[in-house]
Amino acid sequence: MSFRVCRTCGGADIDVDQARGSAVCTGCGSVLEDNIIVSEVQFVEGSGGVSSAVGQFVSADGPVKAPLLGSGFHTSVGKESRAQTLQSGKRQIQQLGSQLQLNQHCLDTAFNFFKMVVSKHLTRGRKTEHVIAACLYLVCRTEGTPHMLLDLSDLLQVNVYILGKTFLLLARELCINAPAIDPCLYIPRFAHMLEFGVKTHEVSMTALRLVQRMKRDWMHTGRRPSGLCGAALLVAARMHKFRRTVKDVISVVKVCQTTLRKRLTEFEDTPTSQLTIDEFMRVDLEQECDPPSFIAAQNKAKMQQLEQELARKLDEVEGEISCYKDEIETELEKSRPKLRGIYAAYTKEIDPEDVEVLSSTSEPEEREVEDAELQAATQHLTQDFLCQVIQEEEEEGRANKTGDGEQEVGPEKEGVGPQRQVAPLAVILGKLPSSLDLQQTFQTFSKSETCHKPDDEDSESGELDLEGIDDQEIEKYILNDNEVQVKTELWMKQNAEYLKEQQEKEERIRKEKEQGTYKEKKKKKSKRKEQIEALTAGEAIEKMLEKKKISSKINYDVLRDLNSRGTGSGGGSSPSRASSDPPDPNNTNTTTRKRLNRRRRKKTSEANQDLVTNASIMGKRFRRLISSTSKKKKTAPQVETSISMTTKPTETAAEPSPEPEPDVSSTLSAAPPPVEEEEEEEEVEEECVSALKLVGDYGCEAEEEDVF
Amino acid sequence: MLLNVIATVKLGCRLDLNIIAHKARNVEYKPKVQKYQRRMIREPRTTATIYESGNIVCSGANSEDQSRVATRRYARIVQRLGFPVSFLNFKIQNLVATCSTFPVIRFCGFFTLHSYEPELFPGLFCSVIPGITATIFASGRLTLSGNCILEVLTILLLLRKF
Repeated sequence: MSFRVCRTCGGADIDVDQARGSAVCTGCGSVLEDNIIVSEVQFVEGSGGVSSAVGQFVSADGPVKAPLLGSGFHTSVGKESRAQTLQSGKRQIQQLGSQLQLNQHCLDTAFNFFKMVVSKHLTRGRKTEHVIAACLYLVCRTEGTPHMLLDLSDLLQVNVYILGKTFLLLARELCINAPAIDPCLYIPRFAHMLEFGVKTHEVSMTALRLVQRMKRDWMHTGRRPSGLCGAALLVAARMHKFRRTVKDVISVVKVCQTTLRKRLTEFEDTPTSQLTIDEFMRVDLEQECDPPSFIAAQNKAKMQQLEQELARKLDEVEGEISCYKDEIETELEKSRPKLRGIYAAYTKEIDPEDVEVLSSTSEPEEREVEDAELQAATQHLTQDFLCQVIQEEEEEGRANKTGDGEQEVGPEKEGVGPQRQVAPLAVILGKLPSSLDLQQTFQTFSKSETCHKPDDEDSESGELDLEGIDDQEIEKYILNDNEVQVKTELWMKQNAEYLKEQQEKEERIRKEKEQGTYKEKKKKKSKRKEQIEALTAGEAIEKMLEKKKISSKINYDVLRDLNSRGTGSGGGSSPSRASSDPPDPNNTNTTTRKRLNRRRRKKTSEANQDLVTNASIMGKRFRRLISSTSKKKKTAPQVETSISMTTKPTETAAEPSPEPEPDVSSTLSAAPPPVEEEEEEEEVEEECVSALKLVGDYGCEAEEEDVF
Repeated sequence: MLLNVIATVKLGCRLDLNIIAHKARNVEYKPKVQKYQRRMIREPRTTATIYESGNIVCSGANSEDQSRVATRRYARIVQRLGFPVSFLNFKIQNLVATCSTFPVIRFCGFFTLHSYEPELFPGLFCSVIPGITATIFASGRLTLSGNCILEVLTILLLLRKF
């Protein structure tokens, strides 16, 4: 409120009364201002004599939402919706946060996260609830509060993993590395809930020590921290002579019984568990254990190794057997006719043996059968050999009994043994039906596959050519005609509804096509800008005007006059210019710029009064014009018109006098018709830029002139 | 160590899924629910998803060569059913492999892009720069899945751990 002087007396002493809102000169008493805008609180008396302050509360963030129900909706819907989202988000955050007992600082941080999320458009396609929960959990993690994702999911009744997914995504997008959870954080919280009374602190300290011990023993990697806490608290409670059952702990900690028990057993395995309570509180064992999953894997590996060793031993034995087998075969080949009867007996013996093998019955039976089989098959071999073999097998069989999975291995090996004998025999004999069956049954054993026909297919699959693929095999994949019919019938029945829908759709399309109303769904093509085809510059300008809504502050008549003048004088030169324009738009632009510069300078030399104000007004006009008509080629002519308007009207008459000017206008007007809009726009933009520069130049030149 | 190979192939012609569904074995086609077919082959044990446009996605093979063979098998079957097929653009999309590094690995503080969420999943997810995700477990097992040559990377990782 700076008043310079009183108008009547010239005194500078003015009294401003805020209450009345008036400014009065103390010298002469004339009222200088009335009804000044005042920022005072007003009170109004309501019904029943209650006085209330006039005014509304304005929210700190977002635009002022005037409670106008009618007119308020139409203005700038985009901004409002964003503000609405943020507001509702804030409300929900406050709600959830108060349930979790988070302090205001955390809630503010959560709201900031939410704002970031919204600005990155990550809320789209997700329930706001989930997003807010994720924001809150993010805050909990960064602050280190003892809140679990499970708590949030309990409150919202949402699956933990869904929340976790959202949380991970947000953390990644916002590039926030939430530090890993320390189970130690949860202990005080759970200890409170378990109601240890006075000794809560001591119990939690013990539990902390336990958890630290567990960490060092690598029990915490990959496990839910709440499980570890539960186990530690249980032990600590027992150590301090509190009776807390597993169920109590579970209800607080939210893990299941088996998990707790497992953690306890794992802790049992560590050497720390051997210490007494006092020792534990005092001593810290230096030795670190491996994580339990690692130990389990090691045990597995050991088991596998054992099995492998045994397998190797059996292989050795088999190797010996196979040597004998080869010899047997050779002998058999020699003495084929004699052994037919023996074969019959042999095959009969194999069948029951096979059955035994599959059911994996006790070993002595198999051994007896094998003995018999060996004896039956090997008449020519010395019995000593056989006895030796049998004895070795018996020994191996006894050794095999000790292992766990070895009984399965045993019969397998023995099954393989006789099977190996069978296979070559079968080949020799030709295909007996029993041997075929045997072959099929033996396919169940993994090793047996190598002996049989699939070998052929394997070798073929090694080739990569299309031709190399077994046609026979592929024909298996293709059905016969009968099968095709059956299958089509079944398929039609199953998918009848779908087929009906398809038919209806097609009929609809056909009808619409006949009617001519069928609209094929085309992909959205980018909007192509239509080229303005105009004969003269004037027409082009008019079409532009029609297309793009231009402000009403332009004098179109002057524009048209300009062009008419320009075309008249520069008509001859324009076609030549036009031909040269497309290849050299830049040149013309530079020339126009130079010419405009020259024009401007001439004008500055002519204009004398109020150059600064004119420049400022022109600058404003440029800016307005440029902002409203950014892509118009007419800005240059507009510039001309504005200049003509602002500067003395006499100058408009003087315009035709400088010769380059009609050339300028002609170039400008000639530029549009052959050139596409884009180039026009480029030119225009360049001219806009040049216009701005000119304003600057104008100002500088004005200053220069002042210096002069 | 290689568990799974996923590969895609373009056959270069439109397929009529109805015909294939009727004439071939081991095909699953429910047009209401899915717009593609699922075929299985026993040797090598793979599953292929066949689309009407003629694209095939083959998954379940144990090695890159096997995957190639399997896709060729599928293409051959389709060819036998009467479609003009050409084997274009065979590309392996994804490889999954496991390995075990026996020395125990510490969590956190290793690779830059890692996420470890013990409440949700016992393993740690790492993404090594060339575009492969590794899932590391406390027992020392790694599962790698990605597009590039995995073997080199498994060696790299093992070296790093040591």
